[in-house]
Amino acid sequence: MKSLLTPKQSVEKITALQPVLNAAITIVEQPEENTNEGVLANVPVVLKDNVSTKGIRTTASSRILENYVPVYDATIVKKMKEQGAVMVAKASMDELGMGGTNRNALIGPAHNPWNPAHITGGSSGGSAALIAAGTTPLAIGTDTGDSIRKPAAYCGVIGVKPTYGRISRYGIVPYCSSLDTVGYFTTNIQDAAQALEVLAGRDDHDMTSSNLPVEHYLENLNGNLEGKKIAVFKTIVDRIIDPTLAKRFEQLVAQLKEQGAIVTEVEMDTKLLEMIAPVYKTISNAEATANHSNLDGLRFGMREDGASVDEVMTASRTAGFSSYVRARFLIGSYSLFEENQDRMFRKAQKIRRLIVESYAKLFEDADIVLAPAAVDTAPLIDESADLRFGQDRFENEHMQLANFSGYPSLTMPLCLAENGLPLGINITAKPFAEQTLFDAAYGLEQIIDWKEEPACLIK
Amino acid sequence: MEKFSSEYLRKLASDLKFSLSDEEVEALKKDFEAVEKQVELFETIDTEGVEPMVYPFETPTTFLREDVEDEVLSQEEALQNAPEVRMGHVHVPKVVK
Repeated sequence: MKSLLTPKQSVEKITALQPVLNAAITIVEQPEENTNEGVLANVPVVLKDNVSTKGIRTTASSRILENYVPVYDATIVKKMKEQGAVMVAKASMDELGMGGTNRNALIGPAHNPWNPAHITGGSSGGSAALIAAGTTPLAIGTDTGDSIRKPAAYCGVIGVKPTYGRISRYGIVPYCSSLDTVGYFTTNIQDAAQALEVLAGRDDHDMTSSNLPVEHYLENLNGNLEGKKIAVFKTIVDRIIDPTLAKRFEQLVAQLKEQGAIVTEVEMDTKLLEMIAPVYKTISNAEATANHSNLDGLRFGMREDGASVDEVMTASRTAGFSSYVRARFLIGSYSLFEENQDRMFRKAQKIRRLIVESYAKLFEDADIVLAPAAVDTAPLIDESADLRFGQDRFENEHMQLANFSGYPSLTMPLCLAENGLPLGINITAKPFAEQTLFDAAYGLEQIIDWKEEPACLIK
Repeated sequence: MEKFSSEYLRKLASDLKFSLSDEEVEALKKDFEAVEKQVELFETIDTEGVEPMVYPFETPTTFLREDVEDEVLSQEEALQNAPEVRMGHVHVPKVVK
């Protein structure tokens, strides 16, 4: 992987852009020298701030961790350092990963590089913005419910969520363990293929990591689309809002056919699709409240004073979590009560299985399922809000299907809307078929021929 | 009695070791109504005989390791992030009075 900037230049650029983008929680002013030779030699890398970095503050964008400095590196940080990478910044995110706008961040909202009045999307918004702004060729994110792929679409970059278990989560501040997946952002598919070779693999520190061997994704990359079975996800395509996206998407499908791809259309029962948002919220809130019970201000993190241990914990957790996160913890806890568990948490887990079984059918005769990523461009910061617990529209949440199922899924830019903001597509493959995913993306990349750059780069 | 009274919500919050402002309590009342509506929606889906999906894949990736000391943090590292440390221990307000 090549970087246009040295780590030092990358730090300077991130620092210069901070007043516009507000995308970094911590900038590593003096990046550590790394003499390791490897595929990431001297490549600056941005990490989402939920990735533990030895000696570098890791807040997960929550006040309760604002002074937390890990004493160990996450496995992925170790792996990248072994390949010569240099960590240059810890990127902004929604608090503890809980959000889709990057508005609920410790340092206030991140701004979209294409137009700072708009959101980056979340929760990995800072990473997406810094990649779009050309500060590094690789930025790490995490994806629990489209948290890499939605910001990638809104910021006009490539966002990869590999198969659940493909990349170790050791050292990642958790959110929802049955959905959390480590992934990343790049600006081209070759880099995306190479990054997974570095990041993936079994790690005995993470018992959910897969034992399957890591493939040579870059060396084997083949963009030939002839004979590729591509299923267009019609139920989502029918709900595209942006007219430019609708037109360009149709054109793309025609181009795929010209390239010899075998294109079919697939649909899913909308009754099940409407369950995505409530099932996601039920499972994620319940798992999050359990995961974050260790954030108590006693052994690490921010501590507020109190006359007793109880008072210290209550004061620390009240001041340490935003109102929104506390509300989600309450609802998560409520769904786990003995009297509620069967009708709420267990029921959501059962519906999750039905959704995944139905989703798997889309892949019965397809290598890839193709859909628009987001059906519209990034909303204005002032007009966007994380829907608290009401009903959401499934076309906005469809990428969570890859979290429910664990399937590998990737977002890449397609075109600019009339308002100058990017629009993207999303492709998904069967479990551990990352090579198929990258191959299709490589073919699509050549057809799409994306050359647009955000305003903050042009000046 | 309303199902999600202020007292009920404050008790829930207290169990989770945080408190709520009056505005937060009012917002939560609406949230909990919405949550109950979601449950009604869940009930429209027949899940008779369906096993809960706890993790995406059934392939086992766990094993029991030998009970040998492997990687350990030094005392200094373990206490490095503690807000208050005395004599090699995390210090908190007195528990037994």
